[in-house]
Amino acid sequence: MASSASTLVIGSSSGIGFSIAQRLRTRGDSIIELASTLDLTNAEAVGESLRSLVGSGTVDCVVLAAIDPSAFRSAPIVSLTESEWDQAAEYSMRSAFVALQQAHGVLADGGRVILILPTVAATGIAGLVPLCTAVETIRVMAKAVARRWGARSITVNTIEVELAAFMLGDNDAGDTEVPMVPVLGQPALPPASAVDDVIGLIDMLVTPAAGAITGALLVADRGTVMQP
Amino acid sequence: MSNLSGLMEGRVVLVTGAAAGVGRGVAAAFGSAGAIVGIGVRRPEAAEETAAAVAAVGGTPVILRCDVTDAAQSADAIEQLVRDFGRLDAVVHNAVSGRSSEATDFENTTLDEWEDHASVTVRATWRLAVQAYPHLQKSQGAYLLMSSPAGIEGSERAPFYSAVKAAQRGFVRALAREWGPDRIRVNSVAPLAISPALENMKILEPERVKRIEGLVPLGRLGDPETDIGPPSVFLCSDEARYVTGQTLVVSGGRFTSL
Repeated sequence: MASSASTLVIGSSSGIGFSIAQRLRTRGDSIIELASTLDLTNAEAVGESLRSLVGSGTVDCVVLAAIDPSAFRSAPIVSLTESEWDQAAEYSMRSAFVALQQAHGVLADGGRVILILPTVAATGIAGLVPLCTAVETIRVMAKAVARRWGARSITVNTIEVELAAFMLGDNDAGDTEVPMVPVLGQPALPPASAVDDVIGLIDMLVTPAAGAITGALLVADRGTVMQP
Repeated sequence: MSNLSGLMEGRVVLVTGAAAGVGRGVAAAFGSAGAIVGIGVRRPEAAEETAAAVAAVGGTPVILRCDVTDAAQSADAIEQLVRDFGRLDAVVHNAVSGRSSEATDFENTTLDEWEDHASVTVRATWRLAVQAYPHLQKSQGAYLLMSSPAGIEGSERAPFYSAVKAAQRGFVRALAREWGPDRIRVNSVAPLAISPALENMKILEPERVKRIEGLVPLGRLGDPETDIGPPSVFLCSDEARYVTGQTLVVSGGRFTSL
């Protein structure tokens, strides 16, 4: 990524969003991050925060990796209260809307929006209905804005990684409980860092050569779930 | 009408949003399959035409007040069917926000508009599942969501509508796995069909409708009762006993890569 470019990372307080921001910062990219205490469903607060961070300028790339942690708690849907359902499923949908809407206001023409999501929605997982529901929602919201923002040459794409990689990023301290996910296939490729894989795809998507790719889903799971 | 005779004989089905359009057509198709059809509507007086359509083809219509954004109303609708007929075999959640045909100004709108869509299509999808679960578990029944091709490919004009319709597809895949051990099947249909709005457009802008129809390989928009109804009945019937977690695109070939 060109060092003069600026990247807004939303969801950088934990998991893969944290690791992406850390890697980009370490190699010298210009990174903008929202405060981890910010309520991403508060459009006014998110907008104000972005304006104060960006000033009169724009950002070239937005990386959005924000799923509320409550979505990772495995539970049958019949056991959830309405507020638990809301927090586990709908909060992340609302925050994706607000983040995309407010990011649009500071995004340069020709900019890139890259969403990072877990692969769970492609297959569905028992016990994680709220998460699967939220992820599919955000995937298609991304396609819809890809269609809307294409006239400004803004591309919007989604990269999906396995759930553990999404939740942990580079953090292998073992202090985060990852839900059990049924093994639906073995990776075709040898294991490697999912963060490295994602950074590689981000670098590819921000190049001019990738300017024709929008509304796409890139699955960086080393060939575990090969969708039909 | 397709020959659905006997496919749902004596089975009890709740169809939400059944006052008009696809909901009415699907309700009538269940009627022709011999079902007792709970016609879930916000205003019971608006359900008379659907009830007549269900009765005309041999079904048993039951009009139920069921604003799906009201937890008590949807619970009562389900309980009434179970109390009066002893069982519940399928729930078809078809209701959508009254704003679903409106364009959404994504960059300038607020969460209030999102809430209009999410309350009907996301939260009610979850709540109806929870409320119907013990009855569907007993009948080893089916939960069918009426999604949309927009929920697969995304819509520039209707980003909220397409997002909440996508929510239903994610929900279907995961819940099919969760409820598989209970032998409850969970599927969705993504229809392309004549709606009341399109009926109106046929009169006011016939050329526009012709253009839309020209994009459909089969040359026409789907009829809610005869084109969308039968696949919906099939998915809730014993004939689809091994089908779960799927979205069936019923679009006359308009969408072939979804």
